[in-house]
Amino acid sequence: MADVTITDDDFQRFREYFYRKAGIQFEPSKRYFVDKRLVERIRATGAAGFRDYFAMLRFETSGREWQALVNEMTVNETYFMREDYQFECLVQSMLPEIAKTKPRGEPLRIWVMPSSSGEEAYTVAMFLLERWPQLAEWDVEIVSSDIDTRILTQAQAGLYGQRAVQHVPAAWLQRYFTREGDGWRISRALRDAVAFTRVNLNDRAEVAAYRGYDVVFCRNLLIYFDDASRRQAAESFFDVLRPGGFICLGHSESMSRISSLFRIRKFPQAIVYQKPLEQS
Amino acid sequence: MPFIKAKPDSAAHQPAHEPTPQDYAAQAALLAAPQAHVRRAAAQALGAHAEAVPALLAAVAAEGEQPVRSAMLDALAQLAARGSEEAVSGLADCLRSEDAWLRNAAIELLRGLPSQVASVMAHLLVDWDRDVRILAVGILDQLRHERVEEWLLQLIEADADVNVCGAALDVLADVATPAALAPVTRLLARFPAEPYLEFAGALVRSRLHADAAAQEA
Repeated sequence: MADVTITDDDFQRFREYFYRKAGIQFEPSKRYFVDKRLVERIRATGAAGFRDYFAMLRFETSGREWQALVNEMTVNETYFMREDYQFECLVQSMLPEIAKTKPRGEPLRIWVMPSSSGEEAYTVAMFLLERWPQLAEWDVEIVSSDIDTRILTQAQAGLYGQRAVQHVPAAWLQRYFTREGDGWRISRALRDAVAFTRVNLNDRAEVAAYRGYDVVFCRNLLIYFDDASRRQAAESFFDVLRPGGFICLGHSESMSRISSLFRIRKFPQAIVYQKPLEQS
Repeated sequence: MPFIKAKPDSAAHQPAHEPTPQDYAAQAALLAAPQAHVRRAAAQALGAHAEAVPALLAAVAAEGEQPVRSAMLDALAQLAARGSEEAVSGLADCLRSEDAWLRNAAIELLRGLPSQVASVMAHLLVDWDRDVRILAVGILDQLRHERVEEWLLQLIEADADVNVCGAALDVLADVATPAALAPVTRLLARFPAEPYLEFAGALVRSRLHADAAAQEA
C-alpha cells in the first residue's frame, strides 16, 4: 500500500467529526497523535486513503470501525485517585447535600460502573474514610459492577502494581495497603467494604436490580457506546438514581450531549449531573 | 467501619400489587397514572408490546413530564427497531411538533434507526413543510446509511427553498463524493448571489478537489 498521508483538510474534517460524535476535541498540538492512529486504522482496514476510510467510518452500519477508532484515540487506563477532583466533590459537596435530606437510618448508596479492576471503588471508600467525618453517622453501600467477570475477580483480589498506586498519598498507602512481592494488596477491610457484581449496562432487566442510589460514578465508559446505547444508558442511570442523586462522568464526557434527563450541577470541585428532585 | 454490603435485588423493588411488564392492557392503562414514575415505568414496559404504538404516540403528545416522555419515545424507538413501521412514522411525525425538545429527541432516535428510517426519508425530503425537510436533513447529518449522499443530491437538485438546500450543502461538505460536483454546480447556478450557498458550495467543491488531488498523488 502506498504511503498514507493526512492532509490539513483531512485533519480538520476528522477533528470536527470526532468532536461531534464523541465530544472529544483534539487540539492542533495533538496532530501527530491523531495522524498516527488514523493511519494505523486506515492500514488495518485496507482503505485506500483517508477519504475511503472516512466514508466507511461515516456510513458503516455496524459502527464497528468507529468503536475500534475510539479505542485507539482514547487512553483506557485506570488507577487510584484518577480525576480525584470528583472524589473531593463527593465528600465536600455531594454527600453533605445528600445527608441534609436523606432520612437517617437509610444507607447511602454509591455505584461505581464500570468497576474495572476496582481502583475507583476503593478510592471512593478511602475518600469516605479519610475525608468525610460524617461517615461515622451513616451506613454506606459501595457497589462496583462490570460486565467482565475476570476483571471483577481481579478487583476482589485487590492486588495492584506500583503504577496503579502512584498517586495514593503515602499515609493512605501505609494505612490501606500491604506490600506483596512487587505489588500492593489493598486491606481486607476495604475489600470487604465493596460489593463487586456483574452487570450489563445495556440489559435493562439486569440494571433493574439497581435502584435507589445516591451517587453513580460512570467514568470513561459511555464514550465507547454508540448514540443509541449511550442514550439507553442515560435512561437506565435515571432509574438507578433516587431523586436528587448525582452522576459523575469522565472529564471528556458530557451528559448534556446525551440526554436532557439530568440537570447540570456546578460544585466548586467539579461539574456533575443530578436527577431532578421530584416529578409529579 | 460503617460500610455494609448489599446485593442488588430487583425483586425488592417490584411491589407485589404492580402489574407485570407482560400485562399489556394494565401497562397501557398506567400511561395515565397520576404519578410520573409509574407512567415512566409503564412506558418502558410497553417497549416490548408491538400493539402499544398508538397508545404511546397519543400519550407522548399529552405528557408533560420530560422523563416520562423520554421513556415513551425510547419505547417507540425500540418498537421501530423491531420493525414497526407505525412507530417509525410516529417518530417522523414528531418533526412537525411545535415542541423543540420533542423534535430534537425524535431526530436523535431516527438517526439511530438507519435501515428503518429509509422507508420514510423519501417522503420527509419532499414534505410540504420546509422546516420538516430541514429537520430531515438533520437526521441525514448523523445517519449511517449508504444512501445519504443520494438523498442529499436529490434534494439539492429539486428543492426550491434556499434554506433547505443550504442545510443539505452543510451535510454534503462531510459526505460528498465526486458524484456531487455536478449537482452542486447546478444548485449554485439555480441560486445565484446567495452568499451562504456560495460559501457552503465552495467548501464542498474545495474538499472534492483536495480529495481528487490526494488520490492522484
